[in-house]
Amino acid sequence: MATDPHRVIAGLLNEGASLQLGTVDLCFLIALHTRADEGSLTGYEEEDMLDVFEQVCEVVEPGVENPRKRATHAIHRLRVQRLLTRVDAGGVLHEGEYAMTGLASAIVQFYLHEEALTRESLTLLTKTLLANIADVKASARGASSDEDWRANVVAPLRITVGDLVGGIERRQRGLDTQQMEVQRKISELLQADWFESLQRCQTLLDDTTATLSELNEVLLHDTTQMIDLLQDVEQLAIAAGRAEAEEATHRVIEHVDRVAAWGRSRQVAWSEYYQQAHRFLRDVVRLDPTRALSERLRNQIAQWSRRRFALVVSAAGPLRIMRSLEARPERPAVVQPARDRELALEEIDFDVEPAEIEERVRAARAAGATTLAEVLRSVLSDMSPARQFVMVGRVAQQVAPDATSERERAWREVPGGIEVEDWGLKHE
Amino acid sequence: MSDNFETLQQVIESDTFARVDIALRAGRHVHREDVEQYGFLQEALPLLEAFYARFGCQLIRAEDGYFFLLPTSDLLPRRQLTAGEMLVGQTLALLYLDPAALASNGVITRKHLMERLVSLVGERELVTALNPRRRANDNERVVQENTRKEVSKALRGLAALGFAELMPEEQIRLRPPLTRFMEPVRGVEDPAGVLARLIAAGRVVGEADEESEDDE
Repeated sequence: MATDPHRVIAGLLNEGASLQLGTVDLCFLIALHTRADEGSLTGYEEEDMLDVFEQVCEVVEPGVENPRKRATHAIHRLRVQRLLTRVDAGGVLHEGEYAMTGLASAIVQFYLHEEALTRESLTLLTKTLLANIADVKASARGASSDEDWRANVVAPLRITVGDLVGGIERRQRGLDTQQMEVQRKISELLQADWFESLQRCQTLLDDTTATLSELNEVLLHDTTQMIDLLQDVEQLAIAAGRAEAEEATHRVIEHVDRVAAWGRSRQVAWSEYYQQAHRFLRDVVRLDPTRALSERLRNQIAQWSRRRFALVVSAAGPLRIMRSLEARPERPAVVQPARDRELALEEIDFDVEPAEIEERVRAARAAGATTLAEVLRSVLSDMSPARQFVMVGRVAQQVAPDATSERERAWREVPGGIEVEDWGLKHE
Repeated sequence: MSDNFETLQQVIESDTFARVDIALRAGRHVHREDVEQYGFLQEALPLLEAFYARFGCQLIRAEDGYFFLLPTSDLLPRRQLTAGEMLVGQTLALLYLDPAALASNGVITRKHLMERLVSLVGERELVTALNPRRRANDNERVVQENTRKEVSKALRGLAALGFAELMPEEQIRLRPPLTRFMEPVRGVEDPAGVLARLIAAGRVVGEADEESEDDE
């Protein structure tokens, strides 16, 4: 079953979990482990633990006062941090018996490097794994009930196969640590002995390279077989409609893929380091056995400001590459629409009517009309009603300068159904 | 004659030629880790040597595994490294020889470079070398910041020339062409004599040359 990391983290936060281990604590744990290993012990008597702590103190902190009191505190610290657990139920009746927890064992294993991957351990693990997966496949083929699938397929995949793949991964991490140490050791050897260390560095490089190549070969060969078998199991689970078995198989396939990917990635990373280290040994160490070059270069840098020089390099600019021809869109200039400011002369018919009206008014007055109404009757008589209304105004305008004003002006009817306030007109 | 190329035409028609040619003319040092370009130069070397000779240049193949173009006439422009590039380059070369850099696959941090630079040259000398126009009453903090900027500028210049590779998180990968900075002190001979020879060969410009170029 996959563990939800959010819940684990929330749980750790709730508990305020932390680990605080000093050198003496770590040494104490390793000494306890060794004591149990040599004596085939399943637990530690309190008295034995106090003895072991005293021995550790003699090495780690010689001359320290009250070692037994410190041992009591150390055991308490380790119990609080869940590295030691009391396994008897004696309580206050008698001294306790303790055992290491999984956490403490993992820490001890890390420092003892007991689980680094070797060709032997990897071959053993992968062969066992293959046999187990083959068994699971056979069981899947014969499984008919829910119980069969759960007991003979899902459980072995989750526990036996899962643990074996986990075991390979754990050893892979051990080998990673070993590789880092090899790199550090090569640097330290060169730093300390320079040319004298050449052979030892070469051996370290070659040994690690050989180990990695062997492991990778085993991984490549065996993981392919494992994946084939697991895919068969997955197909059987799908065919039987067993979602739980399918999910368990899928999870193991992912796990095995990860193991194979580790081999490939470490091979590439080591190959890069190997080339770099070889080049260094060949170009730097062999050509400068007394390490005089570094010293002379150091002097050159220190004296550079007094005896300056500079390297010469080519400095041609990049080639000028012409841009490919492309049609540019024509952008019209922002202008006002063209407008002819000289207005064209318009030919219009000459309106002769006003002149005719003026003439008719003069004729009417000459004929004896003495009021506006008489003039209008004479002028408007043969016009259309619409024109008559307009012409009343023009006629009035023409005769207005000669109009005489009276207090009471009579309203008189003129053609077109129009009534005007009548004016008297002076003689022209 | 090379194994793969029999004529200059074949070399020029190769897909790699244009990129290598532009890189070399721009002053880049092509080293073993530029796998494709380095392999191309190895195969086409005899033909390209003659080709570049017509431009008044030498195509130089260094024993440490890199190629570079050295203009020896005025046909192709050339330049000398700046004071900052020279100081940073020499310090990187020293770090290249340090086994500590090997443990990190030839990668160092910018902080490590600065520490080494200051310990080798001295802070005052470094500030003077990288800020030649500095005046006595200039703000110290500004001067120090300018010095750091000059170091960064020098690193960018060196990276463009193939001496180093700038990586994320202020890391610098050291490259084999850095050994060019060791040329004056490579052998057991007097460095001044070697330097004079390198100047005569046009690979290096000395102080006297620098002054005369400034005068121009």
